[in-house]
Amino acid sequence: MTNNLKVERAIHDLTQADLADKIGVSRQSINAMEKNKYVPSTVLALKIAKLFDKPVEAIFFLEENE
Amino acid sequence: MNTNYLLSHKYKILGWILFSIGLISGIFMVFSGFESTLLNTKVLSIFNNGILNNEDVTFFKIIENSIVDEITALFIIIGGLIVGFSKEKIEDEFIYKLRTDSLVWAIIFNYLVLIFTIIFIYDMTFLNIMIFNMFTPLVFFVFRFNFLKHKSQSHDE
Repeated sequence: MTNNLKVERAIHDLTQADLADKIGVSRQSINAMEKNKYVPSTVLALKIAKLFDKPVEAIFFLEENE
Repeated sequence: MNTNYLLSHKYKILGWILFSIGLISGIFMVFSGFESTLLNTKVLSIFNNGILNNEDVTFFKIIENSIVDEITALFIIIGGLIVGFSKEKIEDEFIYKLRTDSLVWAIIFNYLVLIFTIIFIYDMTFLNIMIFNMFTPLVFFVFRFNFLKHKSQSHDE
């Protein structure tokens, strides 16, 4: 799974730390997600989508082989 | 993350202190050959098969023993458990995944090393390895977990 978290963060002018703070996770989590090293749980994905006020599919995408 | 077996974050420092003292004392003991008369104390031996000194089998006997090695072992184990299983400042699902991944890695790595030593190391040397093996799963786990944590913390905003 891939995502455009970085882009969304830029649009809302948030640092990784800001975003982590807003949804109550560690900065490592945001960093790992942006590097596609970590697939968030559904709960976390929904929280992020809610914060950016977009459907989950607008932020997280399946990759070709998934 | 709902985890009911993790200690509160405030215990982490205590864990590191115990773990460090234990490791330092342990390394010191390795080099001094495990023999010590320091802190000789009366202790309760529940069972002793007497194999080491050709003595009789005894049950529930009060004996004299240096408790330096016991304290060292307990410090490493209790300290390591506290460090590995106390919450991070921000405990979330990613940290939880790092912790479980590290545990899996530590177990596999530990037993691969042990397999190697079983095949290639014999006699008393192997027994010495077994002493290390009491602690290596925990030590590998703690170091792997902290290594991954710091690696994923690095750079870019």
